[in-house]
Amino acid sequence: MLQKKICMLGAFGVGKTSLVRRYVQSLFSDAYLTTVGVKIDKKTVTVGNETVTLLLWDIAGEDDVSPIRMSYLRGAAGYLLVADGTRAETLDIASSIQSRVKAEIGTVPFLVLLNKADLQESWEIGRDAMHGLEQAGWSVVRTSARTGAGVEEVFEELAKRMVS
Amino acid sequence: MLDLPTRISHWLLELVRSQRAVAHLLIDGRHVLVASGGDLDHYGLSDVELQRPAAEQLPFLEGLLPLPESAFLLRSMEMPGGRVADIHLFAEQDATWVVLLDVTVEHGEAQKTQQKAYDMTLLSQREARLRARLEAAHKELTAAHGELAASREALLITHNRLQRELRDAEQYVRAILPAPIAAPFAVDWLFVPCTELGGDSFGYHWIDAEHFAIYLLDVCGHGVGSALLSVAACNTLRSGGLPGTNFLLPEQVLSSLNQAFQMENHADLYFTIWYGVYHHETGRLRYASAGHPAPILVSGASGTRGDTQTLSAQGPPVGMSPRARYRSEERTLVAPARLFVFSDGVFEIGRPDGTMVAVDEFRDVLSRPAAEAGSELEALLRFARETHGADVLEDDFSILRLTI
Repeated sequence: MLQKKICMLGAFGVGKTSLVRRYVQSLFSDAYLTTVGVKIDKKTVTVGNETVTLLLWDIAGEDDVSPIRMSYLRGAAGYLLVADGTRAETLDIASSIQSRVKAEIGTVPFLVLLNKADLQESWEIGRDAMHGLEQAGWSVVRTSARTGAGVEEVFEELAKRMVS
Repeated sequence: MLDLPTRISHWLLELVRSQRAVAHLLIDGRHVLVASGGDLDHYGLSDVELQRPAAEQLPFLEGLLPLPESAFLLRSMEMPGGRVADIHLFAEQDATWVVLLDVTVEHGEAQKTQQKAYDMTLLSQREARLRARLEAAHKELTAAHGELAASREALLITHNRLQRELRDAEQYVRAILPAPIAAPFAVDWLFVPCTELGGDSFGYHWIDAEHFAIYLLDVCGHGVGSALLSVAACNTLRSGGLPGTNFLLPEQVLSSLNQAFQMENHADLYFTIWYGVYHHETGRLRYASAGHPAPILVSGASGTRGDTQTLSAQGPPVGMSPRARYRSEERTLVAPARLFVFSDGVFEIGRPDGTMVAVDEFRDVLSRPAAEAGSELEALLRFARETHGADVLEDDFSILRLTI
């Protein structure tokens, strides 16, 4: 069976674990539990005529003193760069991570997720910033692990890009 | 290798084995699992099968093989059994050794520390955002307050200027009102506009040695526009500024005024007026009205209750139609008597309960014996204010009294 490794990357507290949990288990919790190290979840999907097992590497978020361990990325077929739409600085961190990932594993499919789309009143990332990323060729999608909005779609889209 | 005696080296190995739950796996060059050992059950890996592809059974190996370097470490990997392991990979000729060491305790401690640190960081970031928003809101409010203060200051300056101009205009309106006269008959008046400038005005003067003109007009509305029109109309009458008009004939005077003051030429303003000519020798009063309230004649001495008569005359307000026609009426006044000419604001008075003073009630007030001649008009004003329930009336209060 075909297996594809997907890494969840981004600053701490942006909702990477919640997105995986929403996608794999259809669950969400408001309680924030930080991730240390890495945890692997699996989900089997069908892409065209192909059955693919996605291996979702939920990797500890980056902070000022602990950059993401690039060793975790080896063998990744794609990744999701997650930013928190209510914390504009997490988009800069996502951008920085992307540069390092590209240097480490080369060009593989990825999507940018602006998570916490349900918190519109606190939203900080404007249309101009999104437009700028899209101009650079990035695929930017608003998601909400709380409501599930956009979650299934981004994993499916990444799976398609990895298999094609 | 450590330069230690064999006994101590074995002790160290046993220590690591007992504390770290050592487990190992051997993968050949085809990436097939060929051997395993140690505490695999501790990591939930007891069911791995030899001679099967390694990555299908051990997801953390996906994409890692073959190892490009001789040693590789995956830190803090959460395993299927819930334990957390550091996974050490070693390349050995064609094969790869995988050694798992338990770090569950360290992972838990690190998670607690990191959780507190991140919670604090997120809180401080949220606080900083709130503070920034508050500061921005405060800045906006301060700016808005400054603009409001400036606007208020400008408005105050404008208001004060307009107030000064209104006071000047009010003084002018009062200045052109004639002074009371006492002989050969008495004429006096009371004028209280409801705002600084009302729409009422009046006047009286000798047309010739025998005939005395008396008039009172009320322009619709209040304020500057109404006051300007009322002053203009009064000045026209006082100066005889209606060419070809015989001022002894009230019907002619009103017709000429109507031609001169059509509302389309005067900002859509019209006015009512009562104009009378009193012949002192005979007591004959000739008068006409343009939609104005009928004056009331009170016969009898002022100290006694008098008989009242209304001096009605037909005619539409001045300015409404150029085809308007006016007709004079005549009445002979017999002394002692008092003629009251007034605007509708004198008797159309609203009470606090919403009802209005009836005309008969007003006539009754006029017919009462006046305690002192000079205070009769003041008493009428007092009646109006007490009935209305406030010192400021809804309309101009203008009344003329001719006493013979």
